[in-house]
Amino acid sequence: MSAPCTLTERLAVMLSKEFRDGEVGFTGLATGRAAAVYITGIPLAAMALAQQTHAPNLTVLLAGWSHNPDMSKLHALPELEFDERLRDLPCEAQSVDYPGHYVLKRGDVSFGFSSGVQVDSAGNLNGVCIGDPDRPDVRLVGPILHPEHMTLFGREFIMMPRHDARNFVEAVDYVSGVGYPGGLAGRRALGLESGGPALVITPKCVFDFDRDAGRMRVRTIHPGVSEENLRAETGFDLGDLSGATPTPEPDVAELRMLREAVDPRRHLLPDIDSD
Amino acid sequence: MAERTSKQVSLAEAARRVADGARIALGGFSVYQHPMAFVRELIRQGRRDLTVVGVVNGPEVDMLAGAGALTRIESSYVGLEKFGLAANFRRRVEDGTLQMVDYPELMSWDRFRASEQAQTFLPVSFLGGSDIQKRNPAIKPFDCPLSGRKLWAVPPADPDIAVVHAIMGDTFGNVLMPRRRLLPQNLDITLARSCDRVIVTVERIVSNEEVRRHAELNQIPSYRVECIAEVPWGAHPSPVLGFSRIDEDAFNDYVTAAKSDDAFRAYLDRTVHDLPDHDAYLSTVGIERLTALQTTMALQ
Repeated sequence: MSAPCTLTERLAVMLSKEFRDGEVGFTGLATGRAAAVYITGIPLAAMALAQQTHAPNLTVLLAGWSHNPDMSKLHALPELEFDERLRDLPCEAQSVDYPGHYVLKRGDVSFGFSSGVQVDSAGNLNGVCIGDPDRPDVRLVGPILHPEHMTLFGREFIMMPRHDARNFVEAVDYVSGVGYPGGLAGRRALGLESGGPALVITPKCVFDFDRDAGRMRVRTIHPGVSEENLRAETGFDLGDLSGATPTPEPDVAELRMLREAVDPRRHLLPDIDSD
Repeated sequence: MAERTSKQVSLAEAARRVADGARIALGGFSVYQHPMAFVRELIRQGRRDLTVVGVVNGPEVDMLAGAGALTRIESSYVGLEKFGLAANFRRRVEDGTLQMVDYPELMSWDRFRASEQAQTFLPVSFLGGSDIQKRNPAIKPFDCPLSGRKLWAVPPADPDIAVVHAIMGDTFGNVLMPRRRLLPQNLDITLARSCDRVIVTVERIVSNEEVRRHAELNQIPSYRVECIAEVPWGAHPSPVLGFSRIDEDAFNDYVTAAKSDDAFRAYLDRTVHDLPDHDAYLSTVGIERLTALQTTMALQ
């Protein structure tokens, strides 16, 4: 137990405290080492930890369809969403139609996790392209579930495996997921009565939102990251950082539970700090 | 006594039913269970100006894009999951020869349900502030006539033809799906109910008696199907639930070839144009490799 906590462990414990008992959390599968850890591994570890501490009635939706899977039966982070391996992973319910079990448009999904190539100061998310959408410099996969994540889910955790000035921009090139343009009042004027991003989690810091102003703000900064570095690697003005605190370190009991009960084989939280 | 009509045709004949300029839905989801042999046959026959309307698309769309057969795609995603970006799709959109119309994922599914219900539009509440509607003139805002709520009218999917690949069917066009279906198989069922022309390829043609033994698994009845072709390994290299795993080596070869137009032209020659038909393609893959991918033919 003497090993110091890694950044991914720190983030998983911090995130676990954001979930309330009885909620339903939706996580998709990402691939690629850092992306898989941020978008799939940390959320799954945080939800499993929450279930074992303060939220025993939390429901995990793995890959958006396997309800409360038995994670101890997994021998690696799953890479394929719809093959026999995930089909045969023991769980409580399987949604095999879309959306199936969860009544999405009535608000069954409490929170989700998403990512994109750009996020901006209002929390808008882009997974579609870089440059002019009609003749993009880089065309990416598409909006996927961003529009639904950022409106129909109760709240959203944006997981960004990289933090630099190219992906943290003043205004995204394409809004595939809506943040807080004009603040909460702006969202309401757009006909959006609920949802929106709660936190943005990166390898450097954790952002939350001033929802009245509709602007992202730094909540906590990770160890080893200076304010100068954070400002240099962020493409919009971070404003006053005096309210930002260090990202909290897990206590011994939390770290033990994470390592021994939640992720004993380190499938969810490999040490990517040293990559 | 009058005889029931067979709808069984060859793969080449089935592909000829899709005209240049058609608006089609191709079965499968992401990298799973696409009618890949059918797509290769469309390319072999030199089809042009196709529009694909889909939900989550992968190699079937990227291959048509790389062959110059595609002018428009309406979807939420075109990519190859863990194998990376769909490089042909990406190049064609970046050079302006392919138009991608971006739709959200669940809404894309609902567009097919709207077609199934023969609705003229799908009412959607959650598009405010999104470039999905700002950049798409086919999506129009309106106030709900009952509640006054701000809504958007989204066009239904309305494909001319849907093409799906399943494990079994009979010569009359009845199609059996495994009992334990996943999302891609249920999407195929939705696609097959979204339009009036449905083409099915199956791993194996079975007898009508076999279909009758598993009547509860017949999700696409004969009268919905225009024609059916027996195409073993018709989804290769994508997987078929209850029959075969994904061919990771073939996906990796594809990704390597798709990195440049020249390499992809050579790939298309090697896998499509220089081969007379799907059987010849399977010979190039080899029985040993196919056998290694096989799970068990299971309706469970």
